Amino acid sequence: MGRARSFALGLTLLVGTCAPVLLSPGTACAATAAAAPHAALVVDTGTRTTTYCVALDDGSVSGTHLIELASAQYGLDYRFGFAGRAICRLDGVGVDGDDCFGAYPDYWGYLHGDGAGGWAWATGSAADHAVDDGDVEGWSWGAGDSGTTHPAPPALSIDDVCDQLDSPTPSPSPPAPAPSPSSGGGNGNGSGSGGGGGGGTDSAGSSGAATATPSSSVSSPSPRIHHASGSPAAPAGSPVAAAPGSASPDVVRAAATAPPASGGPPFGGLVTLGAIALLGVGGWFTLRRRKGGA
Amino acid sequence: MHPAAWIFWVTCAAIVAFTTTDPFYLGLLVAVAWFVYAACHVPGPTARSFRVFLIAGLVAMGIRTLLVFLGTIELGSVVYAALEGMRLAAILVVFGTFNAVTDPFGVVRLAPRRFHEPALAAALALAIAPRTIASVHRVREAQALRGLSTARWRSLPALAIPILETGMEDAVTLAESMDARGHGRGTRTRYRPQRWSAAAVATVLAASAAGAAFIVAATTRTGGLHPSTFPLIWPVASPWLLAAIGLLAVPGVIGRGRDA
Repeated sequence: MGRARSFALGLTLLVGTCAPVLLSPGTACAATAAAAPHAALVVDTGTRTTTYCVALDDGSVSGTHLIELASAQYGLDYRFGFAGRAICRLDGVGVDGDDCFGAYPDYWGYLHGDGAGGWAWATGSAADHAVDDGDVEGWSWGAGDSGTTHPAPPALSIDDVCDQLDSPTPSPSPPAPAPSPSSGGGNGNGSGSGGGGGGGTDSAGSSGAATATPSSSVSSPSPRIHHASGSPAAPAGSPVAAAPGSASPDVVRAAATAPPASGGPPFGGLVTLGAIALLGVGGWFTLRRRKGGA
Repeated sequence: MHPAAWIFWVTCAAIVAFTTTDPFYLGLLVAVAWFVYAACHVPGPTARSFRVFLIAGLVAMGIRTLLVFLGTIELGSVVYAALEGMRLAAILVVFGTFNAVTDPFGVVRLAPRRFHEPALAAALALAIAPRTIASVHRVREAQALRGLSTARWRSLPALAIPILETGMEDAVTLAESMDARGHGRGTRTRYRPQRWSAAAVATVLAASAAGAAFIVAATTRTGGLHPSTFPLIWPVASPWLLAAIGLLAVPGVIGRGRDA
């Protein structure tokens, strides 16, 4: 009798706590519109660089909202910390806690594109920076506390990232100029497994190689940019997917994908809630029995 | 049970609460603390400290969450603050359980003689909350018996004076009893030393396994101890760490069987 009652009580508690699950937020997939304002987001993990041509949902958005938009449009993996004001993880690299400097000296450095393909070290939080149409935003994983010591992403302008407006299907013809930068690219790939520090310094070297190419010719995209081909399932254009035809994909352009569906609670969550209900009811009965006995 | 086993238990439970902001882990920890309190609390006025610490924890969680509304309100930041508050509440609940299941002066006796005075000061500090709770209860009861209203804010001064007086009397009584037992004279024999029972050993082993599991998870950054609130995602819980929290219920299971 008592067992049946405790079971019923546990069930009630379980249903009550699980109700919010049904209200899981729906995620909308935003497609990149040609006429809408857009900004470039460059994410350099130290071993690979991914570019995102992000359509803005407002004339001016914050630097953190740009990352949220890139996640919605391209499935970019990210995590903010310090109450949403700092960037802890991008593209699977970084810190999983709320302390974004948990892997110091390696951390996500924040840079603004200077409009000519170069980078300027950001001095404020991305949450406060206004990103307008045509801006370039860079994130680079590595060590170094200033723009001179922290590795910068490869030099990229807005047209390098967002030239799809002119040519929707970019010509898959970069094999001809590919050999010349392949030495730098191979270098970057070789130290890929080295982790933050080694990869960071190497990335700085390859970015130096990239700035050596004249950035004035905006009409032709840099030969080191490879377009991700298909594979909508891959979250953020993975180098494996972009590999066909190219020897060393240093810079990968992300392909627009639907964001991964945010699933409901996993089975473990239900088990936890059940255990909580069981302990609560068990404690209550123990208390009652002890009171009755005393 | 040996007070040292309870100190071990509360330390490990606090480590668990301190290292995570996952609501599943914290919720299970609070449920475990409640179960241990129900099975093991010492009958008497100090048992009320569990409820008081639980209310204090909920208030702390509420205040921590409400502070967010002073700034820019986003669902993510509200959840973040609520989880931080939940961690604080879980720590308070764990200490409430510790206060309810131990005799604070039994804890003092554990200290080596050299550290007896600091341990006594610490025990007195720890005991202030349950002792005050007990004396508030006594005074209110006495006032109710005399037909005085105890529910109004106006009755607060009438409540405060006897409580302060009781606290003073308690302190004097304690000082006299310490003097009578030869405290501070260097010689002190241990009267009825507490023995380490199998239950105490099991508690220590289980609690240290739980604490170690969370320390390892925190240092290796595994197990999803801090679910992301930006973006707001559904937290995941590792079955191993859930089982580790379950180990903290061992004293409750043992105590429950013994009392029955």
